[in-house]
Amino acid sequence: MFRTRHLVFKLAFFALVVLGLLMIYLDARITATFSEKMSELSAKVYARPLELFAGAALTPDDLAYELQVLGYRTVSAPRSPGEVSRDASRLDFYARGFHFPEESEPERLVRVEFSGNRIKGVLTGDKRIDLMRLDPVWLGGIVPRQGEDRVLVELDDVPQVFQQGLIAVEDRSFYQHWGFSIGGIARAIFNNLRSRQVVSGGSTITQQLVKNYYLTSERTLVRKLTEVLMAVLLELHYAKDQILESYINEVYLGQDGPRAVHGFALAAQHYFGRSLEQLDLHQHALLIGMIKGPSLYNPERNPERALQRRNVVLEVMAMQDVITPEQAATARAMPLGLNRKQRMRDSFPAFLDLVRRQLPKDYREEDLANRGLSIFTSFDPLLQRQLESSTDAVMAQLDPGDKLQSASVVTRFDTGEVVALAGGRKARYAGFNRALDARRPAGSLLKPAIYLTALERPGQYSLATVLSDTPLTIRAAGAKPWQPQNYDRKAHGDVLLYQALAQSYNLASARLGMALGVDNIVDMLARLGVEQGVPRTPALLLGAGEYSPLDMATMYQTIAAGGFRMPLRSIRDIVDANGESLKRYPLEYERTVGLQAVHLLHFALRAVVREGTGQGVYRYLPENFAVAGKTGTTNDGRDSWFAGFSGDLLAVSWIGRDDNGVTGLTGGTGALKVWAHFMSRASKLPLAYRMPDDIQTLWIDDQSGYLTGEGCPNSRMLPFITGSEPRQRTDCAPRDSGSGVKDWFESLFGGGG
Amino acid sequence: MALSHLLYLLFRSTVLGLVVLLAACSTVTPPASVPVPVEKQQLPEPKIVTPPAPVPRAPPRPTTPSPSAALQPLLAQAGQATARGDYEQALALLERAQRIDPGSAAVYLAMAQTHRASGDAAQARATAERGLLYCVSDAQCNALRAYTR
Repeated sequence: MFRTRHLVFKLAFFALVVLGLLMIYLDARITATFSEKMSELSAKVYARPLELFAGAALTPDDLAYELQVLGYRTVSAPRSPGEVSRDASRLDFYARGFHFPEESEPERLVRVEFSGNRIKGVLTGDKRIDLMRLDPVWLGGIVPRQGEDRVLVELDDVPQVFQQGLIAVEDRSFYQHWGFSIGGIARAIFNNLRSRQVVSGGSTITQQLVKNYYLTSERTLVRKLTEVLMAVLLELHYAKDQILESYINEVYLGQDGPRAVHGFALAAQHYFGRSLEQLDLHQHALLIGMIKGPSLYNPERNPERALQRRNVVLEVMAMQDVITPEQAATARAMPLGLNRKQRMRDSFPAFLDLVRRQLPKDYREEDLANRGLSIFTSFDPLLQRQLESSTDAVMAQLDPGDKLQSASVVTRFDTGEVVALAGGRKARYAGFNRALDARRPAGSLLKPAIYLTALERPGQYSLATVLSDTPLTIRAAGAKPWQPQNYDRKAHGDVLLYQALAQSYNLASARLGMALGVDNIVDMLARLGVEQGVPRTPALLLGAGEYSPLDMATMYQTIAAGGFRMPLRSIRDIVDANGESLKRYPLEYERTVGLQAVHLLHFALRAVVREGTGQGVYRYLPENFAVAGKTGTTNDGRDSWFAGFSGDLLAVSWIGRDDNGVTGLTGGTGALKVWAHFMSRASKLPLAYRMPDDIQTLWIDDQSGYLTGEGCPNSRMLPFITGSEPRQRTDCAPRDSGSGVKDWFESLFGGGG
Repeated sequence: MALSHLLYLLFRSTVLGLVVLLAACSTVTPPASVPVPVEKQQLPEPKIVTPPAPVPRAPPRPTTPSPSAALQPLLAQAGQATARGDYEQALALLERAQRIDPGSAAVYLAMAQTHRASGDAAQARATAERGLLYCVSDAQCNALRAYTR
């Protein structure tokens, strides 16, 4: 008797110890990983806030689109935050307000009046607003461990009706229980005994969350018990609201191609093209109903079943007094309300990818794990929209068969900020990010490095230096002799330096590069910001190597900015939950190339689009809209490149095939079109002509490169670094007149006036 | 000293005259006596040769009106931040100002001043050099030039 009792006691004690150890183990697992999981739901990435002020170059359509992306609802008269109404030439909206790192934008009723393509005035009531910012578009979250992006919501932003409906259907006693419900367990055990397997049901929201986070979907009793234990522990560690928020962001609701749709916010975008807050009751009910079987009740594949399930949910909500029977009846009468065709994009994977890579290493693990981190970026949804639609339009025309790929990078070169990015033709899908990861030869896109190296030596070279475009054989140690060819397979004899670049003559460029020395070209590329993938061989002169569109954007950024190298930035500021700035990414200039030499290069790059290989841009741009750029084509037209800039934007576009096959395109017939289509719609400012100190302009004979007079045969005006002007002069006398600049611009850049 | 100053003035007036002339010629329809509004705004700096006023696109495209009303509060706040030694905040404000008006030499000048005040002479110089491409008055250009030395 005593022995038996002793044994029972011993066994019980042993069981307790095991249970205790198990609890400690599970607890450790939860605290170690759940905090991280929760924090993953909170590193938020924002687009640039749209600045509103009188004089801003912004159309009513742009503002309407921005507000639409922000989820503002169109109403007849805005009365509460997040509402907008539109008139022909003005928009009225109730700004939501936002806490920016330095200051807060208040909630307020705002009127923006337009005149043409500009803002005429910004008002609140009768008061003029000098400057204000909209709340920034939320791009998604960065999940440090997995590197995926999601659309996440905070509980405060989840409509009350939705929360209550969710609880009514999934876990009535959520706010009372300790993580599990006795009734549920009993039912599960009973069902298990009856059907000899554990069937779903009876799980609390907490259990479902644990299951989603930690456990496989096998259905055993042990797993069920572990689930209950962990649920209890979770409840001990975290508040109900935190658990509910995590659940709302975690629950699985179907597939979007290869990508799992997790969380209601992403599901709302996926199925309805709207944010969770914007959905109506019947749509909320459908989403809630789908938890039970995302594929069984998939509204696209099984609309009948989905509709039935939705109506059951509505009934439950009415029974639980979440909604009135009238509301339920109205919602039941609604169609499913899917809207996949016009849906707003749920994420910008290519840009988020860039942000993630630009996060300094130390932020990836520790600081991202601080709950409530915000990352403010330079992303511009309006430019992104244009970049995508330009890419779509041009690619559909060039390649209806969907064989080719395209990628582009857009920056504002004044600040070196990346504002839009297309990683492929289907920008909506995360995948191979060609803007960052496609590494290709750049063809003639590298040539400016040769010409810049030359122009930095005003004692030897100017835009009017005569180069020889004639066949040559290059013998490098350990390599086969190499005989470069021009694209047209002809030699063009004597050409002026600027013409050789404008026409992208390979023979003249290779000769020039060899005269300057390959090492010096490598050095120039490094000064322009390109250091990876540069081979130290003569073939570099014609673009050999491995470069991503982002690399080329870095190079042309330095050129566009006048010889100041700036790292391309996507992140402006990282801010913690208290609004304290953790890290700023300040603008930093480093002068790496002489201003005067870059000025001359700008001139030659303008000639590219006026009279050289880039003339095609003016099939898209207005004749008088000044830009500068360069085409690039690689062997057999495998890669088609165009890089260039206007007065406000720099863009690099690439077209090629993922298998590196032949495209049949040159830079001028391919990427140029994407670039010009985009620029003609996105750029607001033509390239201005700003002459730095120590530059003078002179009339030159376009054939001989000699000084000549205005009005003489072949005369045209070119800029020179003081002291580098040609010594020889034609016989033609200068004509005395002073209207030089006009003729000069008309002859070269004025577009035939 | 005095001589070089005289020469400088002579040079400046010549260049200025030339620019006025060139500017007048670079307009689309240059009635000799009518000054063109575009140049009026941008004329004072001798170093800038204004390109011909763009022939309007489908909807008329005026030259960018200066968003000065939007810039002033930011410049003022940045000035205060610099004064109290909060250079990071000042630069954040100035970068915002620069995004609003990338062609504002005043913003470049304020940035150069802030970098100098924070002890970063190299950034001050680089910023001022870049700002020189945008200055529109002698006073502004000279102020910027002072930081490049």
